[in-house]
Amino acid sequence: MKRRFSFKLNGRQVSVSAPPAHTLLEVLREKLDITGPKEDCSKGECGACTVLMNGKPVLSCLVLISQANRAEIVTSEGFMKDDLPDYVQKAFIDNGAVQCGHCIPAFIVSTEALLSRNPNPSVSEIKTALAGNLCRCTGYTSIIRAVEEAAHKKQT
Amino acid sequence: MKLSDIDVVDPRTLQDALNVLHKRSDRIKPIAGGTDAIIQLKDGLLQTRELLDISRLMELRYIRREGSTIRIGALSTYSDIIESPVIKNSCHVLFEASNTIGAIQLQNRATIGGNLANASPAGDAIPPLYALGATITVQNHMGTRHVPIEKFFLAYRKIDLRPDELIAEISFEAVEKPCDATFLKLGLREAHFISLVSIAVYVDWARHRKHLSDVRVALGAVAPTVIRAKKCEDFLRNRTLSDEVVWDAGKIAASESSTITDVRASAEYRRAVIPSLLHQAIHRLTESPRAWETP
Repeated sequence: MKRRFSFKLNGRQVSVSAPPAHTLLEVLREKLDITGPKEDCSKGECGACTVLMNGKPVLSCLVLISQANRAEIVTSEGFMKDDLPDYVQKAFIDNGAVQCGHCIPAFIVSTEALLSRNPNPSVSEIKTALAGNLCRCTGYTSIIRAVEEAAHKKQT
Repeated sequence: MKLSDIDVVDPRTLQDALNVLHKRSDRIKPIAGGTDAIIQLKDGLLQTRELLDISRLMELRYIRREGSTIRIGALSTYSDIIESPVIKNSCHVLFEASNTIGAIQLQNRATIGGNLANASPAGDAIPPLYALGATITVQNHMGTRHVPIEKFFLAYRKIDLRPDELIAEISFEAVEKPCDATFLKLGLREAHFISLVSIAVYVDWARHRKHLSDVRVALGAVAPTVIRAKKCEDFLRNRTLSDEVVWDAGKIAASESSTITDVRASAEYRRAVIPSLLHQAIHRLTESPRAWETP
């Protein structure tokens, strides 16, 4: 069973045919070649599949593609500027916040969402905003430093 | 049933949704935010040929105060609840509980109605609603009925909801001076965890701040459903608080539980922490700045 769904993906209108109960994550990765969001736990514990849906971070492994019909979806790819890393992505690179890199696209999405609603977050606000994203390499310290630097850059 | 074989119906209005449920209640299951349902579909625990996606029915997404009554549409997300000034001002306990549910990504999708329908004994919105004495409004194509929350949960993961009904609204009286309420949960880490034990305590300080004119104690994850610790409440009611009184009350509450051992904790551990959680909750209510001050 397949149906046609259309939504805005990283600023571009897309239309895709898929089974309605497939997840948004599956459609992004398998049909639309968007590989920033990852499938790890498949049950809402790791956060690696985080994308923005209508401006808010959600877990794309727990959204059906039919629930994303007519929505606006932004993935880590959508924050690139002229195919180059934006200021958040750069801050992650500069601060050694990327080791194996697997979880990072989702961290970028959560960070962009945080900084768009709170340009000057405290460490505790950063921790709360990123509590749903797991990273098994960095120990988080460098990630928190990267978010602080990105916030600082955004303001200057 | 594979996910690719399941159809999803996308009703435009609540009435459309109720009509579909009326006609096909034997084979269609509602899905709201999906944060529990999609996992159950993947694991094969939820079997259905069709899903009724109610997640975008704005008619059931509201939080408002009418007189002294708070009304929450069942499709309000935890983010809606956390960001609502009505909730923060009039039932802070639900704000506290909602803040501990999952992480932001989950709070943006999970709905309070979904938390009730999933009926996990560890559902964190449920103890506050027991402590608040909430009423659940359910609706089918014919009309609505109102169920007190303690009657709504029948047994482990069993609720008083017929196949053609949807949970429409949760309502309760605002918590106002001289009353107060709080929520605490214990887990294996600081954020984004499932409760080992949770507690919501509602108090009425009508006489003074160390004397409980009324009290309701709700415990989560210690029995097949959330429970009210009524013997503990009887013990505390009209009593002047002291450390000793609260510890004794905690032991009574523990005796009212029927904890089990699972992947997260042993039955003994769960029972042992109930008195501590009660003590912490009461301490927070007697010491917190938002509590009622005797003139």
